[in-house]
Amino acid sequence: MKLTSTKALEEWQAGLAERERGRSSARRVRVCAGTGCLANGSARVKAAFEAEASARGLAVPLEFAAESTGCHGFCERGPLVVIQPGEIFYERVKPEDVPEIFEKTVLRGEIVSRLQYRDPNTRQPARTSGEIPFYARQHRLVLGRCGEVDPFKIESAVSRGAYRGLARALSLEPESIVSMIKESGLRGRGGGGFPTGVKWESARKAPGKHRFVLANGDEGDPGAFMDRSLMEGDPHSVLEGMIIGAYAVGSRKGFIYVRAEYPLAVKALQQAIVQAKERGLLGRNILGTGFDFDLEVCRGGGAFVCGESSALMASIEGRAGEPRVKYIRSTERGLWNCPTVLNNVETWANVPHIVLNGPAWFRSIGTEKSPGTKIFSLVGKVKNSGLVEIPMGTTLRTMIEDIGGGVLKNRAFKAVQTGGPSGGCLPADALDLPVDFDALTASGSMMGSGGMIVMDERTCMVDVARYFVDFLAEESCGKCTPCREGLKALQRILHRLCSGMGEPGDGERLREIGRTLADTALCGLGQTAPNPVLSVLRYFPQEIAEHEGEHFCRAGVCRGMYWPRIDPEKCVGCGACRKACAAGAIRGTSRTPHSVDRALCVTCGACLEACPFSAITAVRREDPE
Amino acid sequence: MIEITIDGKRLSVEPGTTVLEAARSAGILIPTLCAHDGLQPEGNCRLCSVEVTERGRTKLVMSCMYPVTKEGLEVQTDTKRVRDARRFVLQLLADRNPNAPALQPLFAEYGVNPKVPEGVEPELCIRCGRCVRACATNGTSALSFAGRGWEREVTTPFHEASADCVGCLSCAEVCPTGRITWEEKDGKRSIWGRTFDLVECERCHDRYATPEQLRLAGTDPETARLCPRCRKAAQQERVRLSNRGI
Repeated sequence: MKLTSTKALEEWQAGLAERERGRSSARRVRVCAGTGCLANGSARVKAAFEAEASARGLAVPLEFAAESTGCHGFCERGPLVVIQPGEIFYERVKPEDVPEIFEKTVLRGEIVSRLQYRDPNTRQPARTSGEIPFYARQHRLVLGRCGEVDPFKIESAVSRGAYRGLARALSLEPESIVSMIKESGLRGRGGGGFPTGVKWESARKAPGKHRFVLANGDEGDPGAFMDRSLMEGDPHSVLEGMIIGAYAVGSRKGFIYVRAEYPLAVKALQQAIVQAKERGLLGRNILGTGFDFDLEVCRGGGAFVCGESSALMASIEGRAGEPRVKYIRSTERGLWNCPTVLNNVETWANVPHIVLNGPAWFRSIGTEKSPGTKIFSLVGKVKNSGLVEIPMGTTLRTMIEDIGGGVLKNRAFKAVQTGGPSGGCLPADALDLPVDFDALTASGSMMGSGGMIVMDERTCMVDVARYFVDFLAEESCGKCTPCREGLKALQRILHRLCSGMGEPGDGERLREIGRTLADTALCGLGQTAPNPVLSVLRYFPQEIAEHEGEHFCRAGVCRGMYWPRIDPEKCVGCGACRKACAAGAIRGTSRTPHSVDRALCVTCGACLEACPFSAITAVRREDPE
Repeated sequence: MIEITIDGKRLSVEPGTTVLEAARSAGILIPTLCAHDGLQPEGNCRLCSVEVTERGRTKLVMSCMYPVTKEGLEVQTDTKRVRDARRFVLQLLADRNPNAPALQPLFAEYGVNPKVPEGVEPELCIRCGRCVRACATNGTSALSFAGRGWEREVTTPFHEASADCVGCLSCAEVCPTGRITWEEKDGKRSIWGRTFDLVECERCHDRYATPEQLRLAGTDPETARLCPRCRKAAQQERVRLSNRGI
């Protein structure tokens, strides 16, 4: 059925919502089918629920429905299951658990306590997701439908309000939508933070027969999965934003550029496009208004640099994904030299909310200069890791300590890496920094697309810098000299430092190369590539100095640059380190303090990792045993 | 025409002129490597950096690509930031291409010491991409970059002899470092893993082109009896004779 007017959409929506309300008392389970939960076996959990229902003779879907949804965000605890009525939240559900859940929770409303989430610090169980601090402190605006709707069914998204923003947008003049987005202060969620409305306006004004709108879904930062979860969990929110954007800037064709390593996101988006077209929400004569717009999914070829705007456009055009010098903005000359608006998928997903609720409402969330929310993937040495959406201006401390539940194993916090390979590492002093575009940039890191990696005392900051520089050197396209040769130069010094061959002046050399590289590189990748190194130099100069002058790694990570020492006062003789040591270098009997035999120790760090009492520390090579 | 200043000199240029072109017209020299008069600029080598000030903001840009579009642009070609940037680029090149003859005067001018770090094989190719652009401009595109980052190299597809190569030597002609070599022996020319026949000029007996190259230029190798130099000389002779009324 094709919808031929906004009124028809409203009626369809009302009907679907009504049906949902009628069913809300019925027994339903929502099984997360995001990539994380699927990898943990959530498809088998859903199948087990269906088998159980039919074995019990329940009429599916009248009396019982098991639904797949997109990512709930708490991927670490997957597979996640939410049971209606009561919104009961279970984690790490296995197919074997299903009969019991069915018997107790689905049929009788009782709780299976072993599957409940327990606070890692207080051991308090949580009944619903709302009781879990991980969710309670979030502001799920863009992710609002993720985890609640079936991403493969347009009806599911529409019943929860999808395309209402489009209906409203089509009743407005395109110019007024552009000024609405400008007023809202929405800034690019891909990391740059460029005002979206300004971008739209210049593309709208730029002369040209054709205009394009593009979505950047080429998320490639290590540890980041915000965009993937959004595309997989609620693809229609991205589509709706893009259709509104196309209407506002006068475009008839758009592309969603998704990395090929995201097959589920590609599938969800393609299916969403097909379904939106069937309903007349995309394609020719959208909702009978005479506005035509078509969308296509374009799969990337696995190059990190294709997330850079000009490289992305080159890749869509079928050329090698390499950036070009952009003294003329892509809003004037972008894809095929036509005016082009490229926004991150998360930016697009914000658009329908702004159109629907108005710029003033949007400005009421977040900070003055960075309104709205931002999605982060909180990962690393943190108790609760997963997808987190918070209002801008939330402090790093709230994110790590309240939402994240603190550092794993209650170790000391050392640093948080924000912004991916282009970002930087911030120390404990920076924890009260509000998370917004300007504060993070001023601190020497950046917002980036939203990766947030928590590091504890067992992390060597020089090694972290080496890791990111290795990643970028591998991903540099090699087009310009500073990035191609400069990253290699940084790599040489960092590898030297991490293998005990550091030379005096290496820290200063890193700083020199880093600064000039940032100033001379061709594209955003190269210009921001030294950030991990420069931020470590800024906040952890001591560690660089130790690696450089003393060939000492205090974190016990860089091999051959420390000895593990067991503190006899703290060691209880549990034997965890002895069992972990592959070299047989740890001596001691049960319940007496252990010791390290330096003649056998290969400094692999396994004992440091294994000790539950923090009794093992890394000491200098020249220190006595 | 747009009024701009370069190093304090006022000049007026056509809109769209690059800063490099404008500077050259004013007699101000900016070092370049990847730029070539016959090719589209790409801004790869990052050597031609200059500082520009527009609306109170100063930034480092590549003069070979930065277009003059607004009145009052101020360009500085010899500030500390510019010299540091150029020296940085040259030092990086010196670390890999210490022996390239074309780079030696630049190394000397900017005080760069060419010394290869341990474990690095000295090379001649600086990945400026002139050859790739020349090949594409000719309409052959037999050459391209392969690999990325440090591994980037100029080659034919899959390192095999390319069927598209016409042996025209444009790549070698534009190469600033002499990396691209070819051989001519026994009336044959070898380059990029292929060997071509050569067409001989009837007059000077110079073997001046490959048949493939002539065909690409729209000339039938069977009828191309004279090399360009002799053809020109023959033409001039004809003109001279006709002027004398013969």
